Amino acid sequence: MIKIEFYSLLRLLLKQEKLALPSVQEETIRELLPRLQQQLSTPFLHKLLDKKGELIPGTIILINRRNILHLNKLETPVHSGDVVAFFPPGAGG
Amino acid sequence: MASSVRYNRQVLQWGEEKQEQIEQAVILIAGLGGLGATVSQLLARAGVGKLYLVDDALVDWPDLNRQLLYSEGDVGLPKLKMAQTQLEQINSQINIEVIEKRIDSSFCCPADITLVVDCLDNYTSRFDLEESLPQSTYLVHGAIEGDQGQVLTIRKGDSQPLIQLFAGTRQPRGTIPVTGANAVTIGSLMANEVFQVIFGQPNLLNRCLVIGLGDLHFSFLDI
Repeated sequence: MIKIEFYSLLRLLLKQEKLALPSVQEETIRELLPRLQQQLSTPFLHKLLDKKGELIPGTIILINRRNILHLNKLETPVHSGDVVAFFPPGAGG
Repeated sequence: MASSVRYNRQVLQWGEEKQEQIEQAVILIAGLGGLGATVSQLLARAGVGKLYLVDDALVDWPDLNRQLLYSEGDVGLPKLKMAQTQLEQINSQINIEVIEKRIDSSFCCPADITLVVDCLDNYTSRFDLEESLPQSTYLVHGAIEGDQGQVLTIRKGDSQPLIQLFAGTRQPRGTIPVTGANAVTIGSLMANEVFQVIFGQPNLLNRCLVIGLGDLHFSFLDI
């Protein structure tokens, strides 16, 4: 299973903090995202991806605590046991 | 006023030894907006030995909903000067040094700091602040937006750097919505974490506390 966590405004939007998804062999974050949206009642991919399917700045995506921008971005593979966190952090002070 | 009288309420809570640790601490507060105004007051009231204050902005009317150091008569005046005056009135026994500067890549961190508090309002300055720190320095980060906020402690060289963790973060265009209650709540939690770091017992080292005041939700994100 893959552990999914939503924080801050995404948690509020989706009314869900955590869920588990069965893992799929050789799946990437790009492939995981639509499968994740199917599991949820509220569309949210428009918050993460532009019309070309590329990441929109604003939400950090961590796999096992590492930002995917420092891994292989959307092509980062996801494995069983991984924790994938979606966090749109506050910016103001 | 003798310290034994002035601080006796908090000494009853944490003891003489920890009070001495607080009075020996040297802390840099970067940003004197909503978070910095609360953090600086709480650290000054607790008797932190020396505070460095860094900011370059003027007090403006929209600041007054949450920046507890300033009043109507301060509008148009430098935050740094007004903050220093207010904090010296709150506690004349501590040492306050001001650095009137916007934090950018040229910023040099003072050599004698115990830890740094990130009360800034943008990620570019946060990354520049982090870059300026000596190795092993603790940094307590906080940020707010709407009724959401986060607090996190890192130790430079040991923790995942902010610039890596928050890569891809967007600085919102225009004015960021902020409420007074959220700024003071997150600022208070940051001050609490500062004391825990001084005591050698940080609660949020590599562990981000994420708060939603709208539905009063607290969660933790391990980083």
